[in-house]
This record gives sequence, structure tokens and C-alpha cells, in this order.
Amino acid sequence: MNSQLFQFGGAQPAAIDIDIHGARLTALSRRGFLGTSGVLMVALGLAGPMAAHAAPANALDATQPASWIDIHADSTITLRTGKCDFGQSSIYTAFRQILAEELGVPVEAITQVISGDTDRTPDGGGTFGLLRNAGGNLRKAAAYTREAVLTLAAERFGVPRAQVSVADGVIRGGGQQARYGEIVAGKDLRLTIPVAGELTSMFGLVVTGNPPLKKPADYTVVGQPVTNPIIRPKVSGETVWVGDVKLPGMLHARTIHPATLGSTLIAPGKLDASLFPGAKLVRLGNLLAVASANEWEAVQAAMAVAADTKWSEWKGLPGSDHLQDHLRKGVDWSQTKANKSNASKGDVTATQGVKQLSANYFVPFLKHAPIGPTVSLADVRPDGSVTVHTHTQNPQFLRRALALMLGIGEDKLVVRTYPGPGHFGRSNGGNAGSEDEAVLLSRALGVPVRVQWMRADDMQWSTQSSPMTADIRIALDAQGRIAAYEAIHSGPPMQDDRPIGALLAGLPTMDAPHPANPSPLHTTSMNIADQWVYGAVPAVLETGRGTYQIGEKESPIRVGLRDHSMRTPIQFQQNFPREVAISEAAALAGIDALQFRIDHATDPRVRAVLERLRVEAAWDSRPSPAPAPKARAKAGKAGTGVLRGRGVSVMLRDHGYWACAAHIAVTPATGVVRVERMTLVVDPGIVVNPLQLKRQAQAGCLMGVSAALHEEVRFDQGAITSVDWQSYPILTMAEMPELKVVLAPASGSDIYGQGSESANALAAPAIAGAFLDATGKAIRRIPLTPEYVKLALRG
Amino acid sequence: MATITVNGQQREVKSSPDTPLIYVLRDELGVMGVKFGCGLAQCGACSVLLDGEEIRACVTPLAALEGKVVTTVDGLAARWARQKGVPVDPARLHPVQQAWVDEQVPQCGICQFGMMIKVTELLEHTPKPTDAQIAQALTESGPSPHLCRCGSYAAIRDGVHRAAVLMAQGAA
Repeated sequence: MNSQLFQFGGAQPAAIDIDIHGARLTALSRRGFLGTSGVLMVALGLAGPMAAHAAPANALDATQPASWIDIHADSTITLRTGKCDFGQSSIYTAFRQILAEELGVPVEAITQVISGDTDRTPDGGGTFGLLRNAGGNLRKAAAYTREAVLTLAAERFGVPRAQVSVADGVIRGGGQQARYGEIVAGKDLRLTIPVAGELTSMFGLVVTGNPPLKKPADYTVVGQPVTNPIIRPKVSGETVWVGDVKLPGMLHARTIHPATLGSTLIAPGKLDASLFPGAKLVRLGNLLAVASANEWEAVQAAMAVAADTKWSEWKGLPGSDHLQDHLRKGVDWSQTKANKSNASKGDVTATQGVKQLSANYFVPFLKHAPIGPTVSLADVRPDGSVTVHTHTQNPQFLRRALALMLGIGEDKLVVRTYPGPGHFGRSNGGNAGSEDEAVLLSRALGVPVRVQWMRADDMQWSTQSSPMTADIRIALDAQGRIAAYEAIHSGPPMQDDRPIGALLAGLPTMDAPHPANPSPLHTTSMNIADQWVYGAVPAVLETGRGTYQIGEKESPIRVGLRDHSMRTPIQFQQNFPREVAISEAAALAGIDALQFRIDHATDPRVRAVLERLRVEAAWDSRPSPAPAPKARAKAGKAGTGVLRGRGVSVMLRDHGYWACAAHIAVTPATGVVRVERMTLVVDPGIVVNPLQLKRQAQAGCLMGVSAALHEEVRFDQGAITSVDWQSYPILTMAEMPELKVVLAPASGSDIYGQGSESANALAAPAIAGAFLDATGKAIRRIPLTPEYVKLALRG
Repeated sequence: MATITVNGQQREVKSSPDTPLIYVLRDELGVMGVKFGCGLAQCGACSVLLDGEEIRACVTPLAALEGKVVTTVDGLAARWARQKGVPVDPARLHPVQQAWVDEQVPQCGICQFGMMIKVTELLEHTPKPTDAQIAQALTESGPSPHLCRCGSYAAIRDGVHRAAVLMAQGAA
């Protein structure tokens, strides 16, 4: 990655040219200025500030990124980000707070957030680690901006820069004062800040250099419970969602996907023109679609054609019932180099210990399963220009993938991003599904096309969260402490970013994950993503073994079960077995599961969240299983008894420390597990917005409970058979446990706390730990459905 | 040609009688406060009020709607104004919508269109529901549970209690 300084185009002489901590502040002449009353733009504008504002919907000069921060003459501020929102609210709350804080203005001064449009936003990159990555970028961009404006203010006031300060939007120095807008008014200012990276890469641009940053101890805006301004237009019905976009002359399309993940098209079904006079059938390789100006006609015609279409048979999947066995015995793990974690130390093989636990754990495929299936629109013009309207977490990377598919320059494509159903990581690699199909159909039909996937399309043809199996061995010494910990985590890694429509149509895509993929993120290599927190264990060996996407090499169309990141990707799949195994080891040692964790943690922040959890969860310290012999006997005999237990889990992610306690009730006779109470304690570092973080953590925790109790992608030897909400159930409101989220930030942190991802991951291992406590039997997989619960109780 | 009343306005509709209401509303009438979720009456994202009762627009054909009154989220504020006998003020929300803002309920928000419809139905019948009544309404009372993938159920419950207070106060 080359560090680069944005250069602004135009030959106009600069009246101002000042170095600002490595950034460059310039002003163009009035002739180069397009008629505003003055503005400061950060990074590269299109041709001028108004050009950026007035970029037409089909602007094609999208090769250059737009401004990061616009300071307007009336002191209002526009924030631009290539990230999008799928419910976290961060770009509308935390981002505005971070920007306002560094600039020294009220958060209300940031009146506009432009997000996720490739022609109107500067930085690109996926919508992940919003506060860690993008928040840090914004903090630096804002610091450069503040320094630039304060430097100009010092000149105006006729005092040294050191005598100028800003607070609450007012810049003061030498007995004078001015607002931001007054400093930039009448000027056409450009601040070029140093950045590294590549706009249409997975990660986008990163702001470099070291502008002076405001000290967290002085924060007044960060840390406030700022409300999310986009909620009101959403609940009033004013927001335009991606599915609400209507383009002139557009057709509604429904794609007809193959019978299996490896089928090829033998003969398309007949489109009966007497029944569906307005419908058109399109075939592009193995991609089949029906389009009509009337959406209901498109739906019906697609169903009729699908029922009459012949696909080749294919059986290349192990079947979900055999997936765990397949991962243990059916995969050649030697094809991809294994990885060891940084925490590995000592000689685990030399340590047998006094007692030993050795077990295999399993996390199945999970679905992102947005409530609304993916929908997008494309307009491919005769001149080759392409505009895509969608809901994606990485619009610039999507632009790259679509350009590759079409064999055209990225400059021909614009991606516009709208609110849509949250898909929790699925589109961090660009496509959510349907975008590429919309583009191909628009190109084929010569009109704008809207592709709405139906529920089954979204369940069967989108990516999923990787499954993983883990073999864990824990040796305890005579004192009941862990002497050695050994884990081998095996599975196909995230992420396969090949768009499905391009694959079916036989058009170019990036490579499927393989050992030598030129894109390092897209190899078959399995890293250890779960951060080790038990520093007192003397011997540790954690190994990651990766493989190809399941069924991909066997599929004639190279599809198979494609994976993509979903909340705490890979870390969840590794943290679940680790934390369940730690709870089992504590039981084997006869030590309380929470105290056992504290005993092995060396990081004081890990210990602190656990100590706090003990209080907040009203944790009864004792060894597992729960001392309930009467209840257990009654449950066994009468079959109606309920066993109760509690479990604990810990996760360190993105410098955020999370601990969770689950209280559950198990009915052995029915196998039903009810989660009664969840308690979360988090020390995330700097809490940017306690209101939004709490709501995110609550919701993330419930999504985690959903995965723990219900979720598993079922598939036979050819296709996914979890096709709707009956075959892929998720948590309902009636199942909601009592919820308590405690924010316990350690003082002195300089890092913005991340949101709900970890909350999501904590639930399953805590619930499985509670199951062990309640029943005395370990459960080493999710979900805790009656079927698997009964198996575990027998084991 | 069918005639239905949508959000207080009588509308002539040309769609074929078998067309599900969701496509009639969104594609022909431009009423967008009804969202496509599953098309199978399994999630509740597309719920609307039909003569005051929640139905799923994705499986209800136009033929079943002749002469009926449909309310979507877009029409909730006007519905409240009519119920209170006050002029419709575009700046004011229905108490349920206002509560959703006050309690910062939505995450992605796609399910909340159906959630707010179901909660409006609940509060019109049960002005001060218990937690159990809220859970029952949103889980068991319709063709399927109202599903939220983001997991905003705790916020929804807070929102219902807030809405009940706002409605009792008679204003939003």
C-alpha cells in the first residue's frame, strides 16, 4: 500500500498553500470557484464543491472520490462516508459525534451524512469495524480539518496558532472570535490529507499521518446518548429503501435459480404468452429470469417457468446431517498450510496432567437471513455506463466486481446505496446477491431492471456463515488448574465474494477461495481469530486448518456452499468451542466456572469484566453441575421436571472486553431449552454513544440467543433445504429472556468501543455452559434444539 | 376495477383481482409503507390494517378487499388524528411511531412497518398491555410471529409501553 497525497486538479494559481501537519491546505482562485459562498472540502472533490453536491444520478466520472468533510459558509457540515448503515446507526450517531468532537462543534452542526454512493463518498472499504477503522479515519480527517481552519483563524486574528482555540463551534483568539463558516466564507479551500490504500479494494482508503488529536479526557460530545436522526423518517414511511426505488421504464424481474448448487440448465421452461402476455424470458448461460412491467405477472410467470425447467442432477454435498463427520474425516486438510495462533507457547504434548478433557465441538452453517430478501436495480445504458441501486456494505468493492464481470472500466460504474434489510456482514465483500443479475438483465433487455429475490432465493443462493469443527484437549494439574490447552479449528474460511449471477452466466469473477488466491483475504487459509484471554495457562497450542468452500470443487458450475462473514466471523466459530470447553474443564476441576476463568486470566480488564459480571448477574459461585439432585431425579422419572443452570462466556474482540452470563431452564423430557436471563458486561474502551451501544448490545445478544437455540442451515446432497422461516426458524419475541446490559468502560482507553458483534457471539457458549450446569451433560454444538438436546442428554 | 380505501382515500384499482395487496399498494398506488419480507405470511413485515385488524398484504388478494379500509404505516398519523377528531398535522406522528423514535426502536427497521401495525392493533384493543400480552400479540396472535432479525424485541417492548403512555395522554 502506497502512501499518497491527494492532488487536486486544475491549473489555477493557489492563493493559499499551507502545510497542516502533513496535509496541504490550498485555495483556488475565484475563477475556479463554482459559485458557492465559500466552503472547505477535505480530500478530492469532483470538479468543485457544487459538482459534488449536484452530481447527477448517473454521473459517470466516478473515478475520483468526493470530499470527506465539507465545511459550509453557514457553519453547517456535511460528512461523507463510503460505509453504509444496516441498523447500527454508527454513521449517523457515532461518526457525527467523533467528527464534532475533533472539530469542536456541536453534533447538530453536522446536518448531512452522505453514505455509500461510489460517486459521492471518499473512502470505500467494507462496513465493518466501523468505529475501529472508519472512526479512526474520520477522527484524523477531522483533526486535520480543525488544524487547517484554526491556522486560518490565527492569521485572521493576527495571533499565533497556539493562542487560538475552539469550543462549541466558536473559534477564539486574541480577544476575537469567529465560527467555522466565517473562516471559510468567500474562499474555495481544499485540504488534501495523506491517505494510503486503494479505493475499490476490500478495505478502501486509510488516513495516514499524525495530526494532533483531542485527548479523550477532554471529550464532551463523544460519550453522549445522541439519538439516531434516520429513525424518524424510517418510522413515518418517508425513507426511500432500496426496494422502493423506481426507475423510468423499468421491468420487474424474478430469477430462476438452478435445482441444486451444481446443476446446469438442460431446457428452460416454456413461457406461456397467452397467460403472461407482458412477460419476457431471458437466458444467460445457467441464469434464467422472467421480466415484466407488472411485478405480479413476473412472480407468477417465473413460478410457471421454473416448474417446467429441466436442470441436470447433481449430488456433491455431504448433507447437513453428515457435515460434522465430513469436516472430521472427509476433508484433506494438508492442501492448505495450517496456522498457529500468536498465543501458542510451551509444549502441550509433554503435558498430560492429572485429569484430561478431550472433545469435539461443532458450529453449523448459519444464514445471515435478512428479513427482506435482497433486491437491487440496474440501469445499463447504450453508452456502456452502468448505475446500480442496492443495499451493500461495500459499494466500491461491488463496483470492482461488476466491472470485472462486464469487462469494463470501473469508471463506467456507479453504485448507489440505500437502506435495506440488515444482512450482518453478507455484503462486506461487495455483493449481497441480485446486483449482478440486475446488471446482466438490464444489459440484455436494454431497460432498467429491478431484481427482487424471493425468500427461497435468498436462503438457497446467498452466502452463509462458515461451519467449523474443533478438537480441544485440556489437561488439568493436581490443583485443578489448566496445565495445557490444545485446539485444532477446522473449516472453510469466509469469504467467497464471487457474485452468483456472474457464476451462473459463466462470466468473469474473482477466484473462489484457494490456497494461492492472489487476494490474501480470499484464500483457504484458516487463521485463529479468537483472541486468547487465559494468559496464566503455561502451554497453549491453537491451530487453524482451512479448506475449500464445501461442494465448490465438486460443482460443475463451481458454486457449492459459498461462505461470507457474519458478525464476529470465524471468531464466533472458535470462541464457542473454547468457552464451552473451559466450562467443562472448570466442572472437571470442581471449580466455579466464572472463578475458573478469573484464575486463568492475566489481563486485568478480562478479570474486571468477570468480577463485575459476578455481581450484575447475581452469580451463585459454586462448581457445576448445579446441586439439584431432587429436581434431576424428578425430571428423569416423571419427565416433566425442569432443570436450571447458569453459564458464562468471555470474548476479547477489537480491544473490547465482553463477558456474559446465561441462566436457562431445560426440560429433559421434551428437550426444550428456555433462556430465562442474559447478563452482559462490556468494557469496550471509549463508549462513543451509550444509548446506541446498549440497544446494539441488547439486540446482538438476542440474535446470539437465536443462533444458540434455533439456527442451522439444513441441506441435502444437492441443495439447501432451509428455504423459509419455518425451515430456518429464528427467535421470536415470546422467547425473549430478561436482558441486562452493563457498560463498564475502563478509564484511560484511547480506542473507540465496537458495537454489538461480540454480544452476538457470547450467547451460545454461555448457554451451552448453562446446559452443562443444569443437566451435568455437555452439549458441544448448536443449536440447542430438542433433537440435539436429547442426543446430548443420552451421551 | 376495484375500489378500496387506503389511508383515508378512496382509490380505484386496476390490478387483476388475484394480485396480492402488497403489489397493489406499492406498484399501482405508490403506497410504500408496506415492505416485502417473505411473501409467505411467515414474518409480518408486510402487515397492514384491514378494517382495523392486522392482515398480511403479501398473501391477501385484491379480490378480498372490495370496499374495505386499508391502513399502512404511511396512514397511521392521519388515523390517529381522525380518532382524536383533530386536523391532520404532517409534522405529527402516531403515538406508536413517536414511541419508536423516543425509544430508538429500529435497527435496520424493515420489520418495524409490520411491528408498528400490529402494535397499533394491540393498543386499540388493549390500551395498557402487559409484557405477556405484548409478546402474545407479536408472537401468537397472527398467521405467524412478527420476526425481527436484528433482535430489537427488547426495544419494541419498551416502545409499546411508551406508546401506551402517549396514547393515554391523548397526543403524540
